[in-house]
Amino acid sequence: MPKAQLFITCLGDQFYTKTLQNMTVLLERLGVELTFPHEQTCCGQPHFNNGFESQAREVARNFLRAFGRSDASIIGPSGSCVSMVKHHYPELFPAGTPEHALAAEIASRTFEFTEYLVNVLKVTDVGAVYPHKVTYHASCHYLRELGLKTEAKTLLNAVKGLEFVPLNEEETCCGFGGAFTVTYPEVSRSMMENKLKNILASGADTVVMCEPGCLMNVAGGLHKTGSNIRAMHIIDLLSSK
Amino acid sequence: MSETPTYIGFEAYTGHIPPSIPSAVQQATARFAVGRAARVSELPQFEQLRQIASDIRLHTIENMDTYLLRFEEKVTAAGGHVHWAATAEDARQIVLQIAREHNVKLAVKSKSMATEEIGLNHALETAGIEALETDLGEYIIQLAGTGPSHIIVPAIHLKKEEIAAIFSEKLGIDAPADPIELTRIAREILREKFLNAEMGVSGANFLIAETGTLVMVTNEGNGRMCTTMPDLHVAVVGIDKIIPDWESLTVFLKLLARSATGQKLSTYTQFITGPRRAEGEFGPKEFHIVLLDNGRSDVLKDPIGREVFKCIRCGACANVCPVYKNVGGFAYGWFISGPIGAIFAPQMLGTPTARELPYASTLCGACADVCPVKIPIPTILRHLRRRVAEGDQIAASTMPAPIAAAAKLSALALAQNWIYRFGARILPPVMALFTRDSWISSAPYPLNRWTKSRPLLAFTAGFRSWWKNRNAK
Amino acid sequence: MTNPVIENIRRSLGGQRPPYNPRRGLGPRPAIYESRRPESVDSEIEQFLDEVRKLSGVAEKLSADSVSDALKALVAKNGIRKATLWHTPLFEQLGIENTLRSLAVDIISPNADKHEMAHCDLGITEAEYILPETGTLVLASSAEKPRAVSLLPRLHLAIVRPEMLRPDLHQVFAEHIGRGEASLRPYTPDYLVFITGPSRTADIELTVTLGVHGPKNLHVWIMVKNLTVAFD
Repeated sequence: MPKAQLFITCLGDQFYTKTLQNMTVLLERLGVELTFPHEQTCCGQPHFNNGFESQAREVARNFLRAFGRSDASIIGPSGSCVSMVKHHYPELFPAGTPEHALAAEIASRTFEFTEYLVNVLKVTDVGAVYPHKVTYHASCHYLRELGLKTEAKTLLNAVKGLEFVPLNEEETCCGFGGAFTVTYPEVSRSMMENKLKNILASGADTVVMCEPGCLMNVAGGLHKTGSNIRAMHIIDLLSSK
Repeated sequence: MSETPTYIGFEAYTGHIPPSIPSAVQQATARFAVGRAARVSELPQFEQLRQIASDIRLHTIENMDTYLLRFEEKVTAAGGHVHWAATAEDARQIVLQIAREHNVKLAVKSKSMATEEIGLNHALETAGIEALETDLGEYIIQLAGTGPSHIIVPAIHLKKEEIAAIFSEKLGIDAPADPIELTRIAREILREKFLNAEMGVSGANFLIAETGTLVMVTNEGNGRMCTTMPDLHVAVVGIDKIIPDWESLTVFLKLLARSATGQKLSTYTQFITGPRRAEGEFGPKEFHIVLLDNGRSDVLKDPIGREVFKCIRCGACANVCPVYKNVGGFAYGWFISGPIGAIFAPQMLGTPTARELPYASTLCGACADVCPVKIPIPTILRHLRRRVAEGDQIAASTMPAPIAAAAKLSALALAQNWIYRFGARILPPVMALFTRDSWISSAPYPLNRWTKSRPLLAFTAGFRSWWKNRNAK
Repeated sequence: MTNPVIENIRRSLGGQRPPYNPRRGLGPRPAIYESRRPESVDSEIEQFLDEVRKLSGVAEKLSADSVSDALKALVAKNGIRKATLWHTPLFEQLGIENTLRSLAVDIISPNADKHEMAHCDLGITEAEYILPETGTLVLASSAEKPRAVSLLPRLHLAIVRPEMLRPDLHQVFAEHIGRGEASLRPYTPDYLVFITGPSRTADIELTVTLGVHGPKNLHVWIMVKNLTVAFD
């Protein structure tokens, strides 16, 4: 029986209770034995991406403590948080130190949710039913840092009733970029509006993605314009019956 | 203009940017990005070429002294003159001195980033020498008195009606708002200038160390005019343009136009080795090249940051950059804009001057995907952000104190999970005061900068208790 | 003599650097440089012509016998009154100058003053090499082959031969610097230019406009059969 630790991410923790519950239920239904290291906080990406490497290292140490006790896989619902652990944690600690070794070991067993389903569990059909027109936004770090180009679409493809429609500029950033949204709110907003324009033009009633950050941005934008289009995390879509 | 700026910010407030810029820039960048994609798909070896190009560039950077000295030796052997300029001021003085010795009244210029960098036009004009830009886009913005908004199409922010008005006003002619007619007018005016100028000034795309050859790539033919018609040719080129040999050039030429404009090759690629040799042939009697350092040799200290010198100035990174597309080139405050500008300026000018630019990105990584020489732009952006936030061997931290303090406090809270969990318990009830129907449409500082543009989801923070209750059963 | 720029580069790159090695970091020389494998001369000619046409050039296959007629048509269609051309054995054998004179076209010496040459309607050159993949003409420079002939006139006509075909940039460069006596290599003439289509710009509202500074029109004739001159 595969074992995994839930990496809920700070955005998930604060804003996406339902998504995390769905993730838990879904993984357990697929036979994964889950644990939840409650000492986890944030992966430190906000600090790391903004140049505060020493602070990121402190936050990362907390993560290493929280997840280092078990050798189970680590699964998170966010491409960028997973990429932080997978790619940047080993950079934070000097090679040859025990912390570096632990970071590298942890990195090797950390997976993004769809990546874990498709590439580790080899599951492509989770038995979801979602009779809607759905389009997909490829989040930047999920796509480029983790290199996940097909996993989300493979899972969507198996959802009953789902009609997939392509999104123009699918791979263009939605303007989230973490602190960028508050550092340069106007540019962030223009980028988000461009994304909304494409979503509207796709004819979809649902836009799905694998990133809580992008989701907050796009869902907020859609809400503000009064649109009926639903922005969803892929976990919630895959939990629909 | 010839002064080095003391502070440049990222003028990201789109309200300050003329409304014509984003749409014109988006049109241009979309055209180039589509063209690039088409050319790349035709060339199955493109990915391999990128890797080879990257390797050659790194090799050259690590042996820059060897190749520059070889270049100097070969140019001198070919009868040309090599000048070394440690600073922008040195470079200006060298060019002015050459111009004075030849009694130059009119200099025709082919588009050159290095002369922009040293503010050469201003220096020449102060010395009473007319310096005329001859690339059509550069000519237009020189008449208009503005800077470039795009590396390949510098006047992209101007509509044909605006250009016609500029021509009418500055040239005293009746210019119609028709691109073909405006081009014809510029051709006629500039042709006279080419034929009568005493000095041609250019930059270069590459310098080939093997033979002391300057390589220039243009589409309009102004580069050929500037280096063929006047008796004197002065090139001002950054030392980072050096490449080892002709064989490496094959790779760069295959990548450059494809990445820049989606052409297979630009219209004119010329190879100049010293002054003309044959009597009766055209071309300059005297050839000078000013090798410009201006801080580059200092940047070489940083093994991560110096990869910026792999750049071949194609502009592909800007063409795919969602930030650039929404603000245009002016926002970056320097003559090299877009993602490459955001890693170039803070290194050349220093992070105290350009600390905002590394933050002018969402780190989406689209730039690195298309860069023909594989510059890890997001990695260098993060590296420079670290220089700003924490300081490193190159420069001390320049982060405003309140932001640095906030970063430290928040890290403390996140590193001690009990503080985090305590915070997570008090945040939802506090934020509930701002919440309606699961949305916070107006949050207190600093989240108001988020809610200005879109509402924020309500803080629910319910997973931990759900998990606990569920496992207690 | 000290060179502060070089000294600072050396300081920055550090004292730990291994001694210079021309292949360091480059790995084995990639075969990719010789990537194109032409099918046949015919297919190369067709591709070359096709590429020139895609660039808004006019490209034709001609035999030596038909050069006079083609020149007549070109002169009439484009209102050619003044022309300049390279002094080459091929052009002499094809009788280009005489044909033009018979059409009442003024011939300007290719070594004439630039102001005079600027008034030429037509400039005729050969090429050293031609590249089918990109539709590129590679022109050298000498007193007999001045570079202004392909630059100042409003129409540039290049008369080329299949022998000039090279599969790729790589072959052009290797041949170019590998010419002459071994002791003098790399051979480097003062000037070489690649011409890929007529002068163009898209600087005003991205509208493609031909002939901004260089020739507005580019014609390329490739001499294919019944050639009365011997290829050298």
